[in-house]
Amino acid sequence: MKRYDLIVVGAGPSGLSAAIEAAKYGLNVAVFDENTRPGGQLFKQVHKFFGSKEHKAKIRGFQIGQDLLAEAKALGVEVILNATVTGLFQDKEITVKIADAICHYKADSIIVATGAAENTVPFAGWTLPGVMGAGAAQTLMNLHGIKPGNKILMLGSGNVGLVVGYQLLQAGCELAALVDASPKVGGYGVHAAKLARAGVPFFLSHTIVQAKGNDHVTGVEIAQVDENWKVIPASKKYFEVDTICMAVGLSPMAQLINMAGAKMETNPQKGGCVPISNAYGETSLAGVFVAGDVAGVEEASSAMIEGHIAGVSAAAYLGFIGKEEQISRYKDLESSLCKLRQGMFSLENRGKVPSTTEEGYATANNLLYQGFCTEEEVLRFPGTTKQVGVHAVIECLQNIPCNPCQEACARHCIKIGEKITSLPSVDEEKTCSGCGMCVASCSGQAIFLVDESYADGYASVTMPYEFLPLPQVGEIGWALDRSGEAVCKTEVVQVKTSPVFDHTNLLTIKVPVDKAMSARFFKGGVFHAIHK
Amino acid sequence: MTMRIENHPILGDFEKGRLVKFYCDNRELQGYEGEPVAAALRAAGILVHRHTKKNAAPRGIFCAIGRCTDCVMVIDGKANIRTCVTPLVEGMQVQTQYGTAAKSECKQGELA
Amino acid sequence: MQSINDRSRDIGDFFAEADDSVLICRCEEITKGEIRRAVHDGMFTLTEIRRYLRTGMGLCQGQSCGNLVKKIVAKELGVSANSLEPVFSRAPMRPVEMKILANERGV
Repeated sequence: MKRYDLIVVGAGPSGLSAAIEAAKYGLNVAVFDENTRPGGQLFKQVHKFFGSKEHKAKIRGFQIGQDLLAEAKALGVEVILNATVTGLFQDKEITVKIADAICHYKADSIIVATGAAENTVPFAGWTLPGVMGAGAAQTLMNLHGIKPGNKILMLGSGNVGLVVGYQLLQAGCELAALVDASPKVGGYGVHAAKLARAGVPFFLSHTIVQAKGNDHVTGVEIAQVDENWKVIPASKKYFEVDTICMAVGLSPMAQLINMAGAKMETNPQKGGCVPISNAYGETSLAGVFVAGDVAGVEEASSAMIEGHIAGVSAAAYLGFIGKEEQISRYKDLESSLCKLRQGMFSLENRGKVPSTTEEGYATANNLLYQGFCTEEEVLRFPGTTKQVGVHAVIECLQNIPCNPCQEACARHCIKIGEKITSLPSVDEEKTCSGCGMCVASCSGQAIFLVDESYADGYASVTMPYEFLPLPQVGEIGWALDRSGEAVCKTEVVQVKTSPVFDHTNLLTIKVPVDKAMSARFFKGGVFHAIHK
Repeated sequence: MTMRIENHPILGDFEKGRLVKFYCDNRELQGYEGEPVAAALRAAGILVHRHTKKNAAPRGIFCAIGRCTDCVMVIDGKANIRTCVTPLVEGMQVQTQYGTAAKSECKQGELA
Repeated sequence: MQSINDRSRDIGDFFAEADDSVLICRCEEITKGEIRRAVHDGMFTLTEIRRYLRTGMGLCQGQSCGNLVKKIVAKELGVSANSLEPVFSRAPMRPVEMKILANERGV
C-alpha cells in the first residue's frame, strides 16, 4: 500500500494550501479529490477577491485557483483527481474509489478539507427542472459556458446570492428579481449595489410561494412575509421565469471526519455539524486535522489561511518543523486570519444592526434595507469630497476587510490605514490624475471618477463596466441611478480597456452637471432587457 | 437563442473539445467531447432528465456537481448515471430515465 | 437526550398543515406530512425516521434532505434541532457499486 507523510482529502483552496505548506517543509504529500477538476469552488469565482494583498485581494478567484495548483505541482505534491475517499479508518488509512477499484492508502497525518455543500429551501414546485442551487448556476455558467436559463429569480441576498446574481447578468441572463425573507440584505452592500444600479429589483421580506410549470419552471409566485414569517396573501406577485436559484447558505460536508470518530459539535454559527477543532486545525483524533469550510463555513480567503495552518500542524506533528518556527509561522497566519474576521460581517457582529460604523458615521440604512445607498447617504461618508476637476468618489459605506483601493492610487489620494476594515476616504489635498486605477481595482466596483467641470453644464462620470457588448464611444443611452432608475439621456465619451485593469473596463459618460452624483450606470440600446 | 455563452466578459471563450454527435431518446444531437452530458443537453434545450419512480415527476439539473443525483439518466444502457459529472463521448446513447430504467425496459404502463 | 427518547412524552396531536404535501426527501419522494406523521407514530430520533421512511437512504444519501428532515422532526418534538442526535456516518461516503467494493487494490 502506498504511504505518504500527509494525505489531504479535498483539492479546494484549503486543501491545496495545506498541501503547499506541508510540502515546503519536506513532507511527501498526496491530495485526493472526487471531482474531475481541482480547486473546489475557486474555479467558478470570476469576481475579484476582497481583503488585502496578503489575502490575494483584487485577484479573480479562478486565477487564485490556477496559481495554487501550479504552486502545488511545483512542490511535488501529487494531486489525484476522480478519486473519491470513501472511508477514513484507524491508523490513518483511507479507502479511495478510483475508476472501478477501491484503493487503500496510508499516511502519518491526514488533513480533511472536504468543504461544504449548498443548503436547500423546499417550496411547492421546487423539484421542477429549472430550480437549482446558486452554485449549480455558477458551475454551468463559469465552468461549462452554459446559461442556466434565460430569465432567473434568485432566492437569497447573502454574498453568494448577490455575487452569483451579478455573474448571471455577465453571462447574458436576465435577473427578474432577488428575493430574501429577511428585511435586510445579508451580504456586502457593494455587491447589492452592483445589482441594484443595473436594474435588478430587490424583494426583501419576501418568500417564494410556488414554482409553476408542468415539466419545467415557467413562472414563480412570491409574497411578502410579516414579522412572524407568515405569508401576506394580498401581496402575491408573479414572475415569468425559467429558472429559480437558491442561495440559502452552506453546510459542512463533515461525514468523513465524523465516521473517522472525531468528536463533533452542532454549531449553527459554523453552519451545522462540524468536527470540534482548535485554532491549529487539530481535531480529537491525533494526527488528523481539518481546514476550510468543513471546520466552519466562511469564505475562500480564510479557508486558504486555515489550510496553511493545518499544514504547519501536520508538519509539526511529524517533526518536520521545529517548535520555534512553528510558533512563528502560526503567529503570522493567525494575524492574517484575524484581519479577515473583522468588520460589520464578522462572526461576532453577525445578526447585529450597528447604528454607526466603527468611525461613528451613521449606518447607511437604505443600503442595508433596499440594496442601494441614497445620494444623501453617499454625501456624508468620507469617500465623497467636493473637488474641482476629476476626483474619485468612493461609495463603500460599510466596514469590510478590504483595501486594494489604497494601494491602487499612485498619488495617495485614497486612504484606509492600518485597519483594513476602515472606511476608505479621499484626500482633498491631493490631485487626482484621472488614471482610473482605483475604479478598476475596487473589487466591489464601488469607485467612480467624477468631474463636474468636464464641459459647460456637463459632468463626466467614469464607472467600472464588466459586461459585453462593451458600449462604443459616441453611443447614446440612459444613465441609471443607484436604484436602477433612468435619470437622463447620456452619451459615452470614453471607453478604457487595459490588461492592468484585468477585464474591468472604464466607461465614461457625459451627464448634466446636476446628475453627477446620481448617474451611476449606463444602459445602452444593446443591453439586455432590464425589468423594474 | 443559444444557451451557450460566447465571449464571456471575464472568461472570454470557453475551451471545448471537438463537436461530436450523440443521441438522446434516439434523437441526434451535437455536443462538445468531454463536457458534461448535462451541459450538452441544456445547450440543446433539454431540461427533463428523468421521471421519478413514485410520482412520475420530472427532474433535471439541481446541484450540477454530482451530489444530488437528480440529473441521472440511462447512458449506454446503464441507469443512474449522473449526467452533470459524466463527460460526453461521441456516439453516446442517452435515455430519459423512468424510475430506474429507460422506457423500453418497462412493461407497458408500468414504471421500473 | 434521554428526555427526547422518552416515548411516553406527550408531543400533542397531529394536525395537518398547508404545506404537508411539499416533498422533502427528493430521492425517495417523501413529503413533509409523512415525516411529521412518522414522529407522531413514535419515531423520535433521526435514525428511526430514516429507517421508517427511507428519508436519506436514496441515491444522494441525505445530502439534500438531511438538514430539512432534522428541522421538521425537531419542530414536531418541540425541541431545538441542535439537540437531536445526528445520524451515523458510515463508509462508503458515496454510493459505490458492489463490483467496485469487491475490487480492492493495494491492501
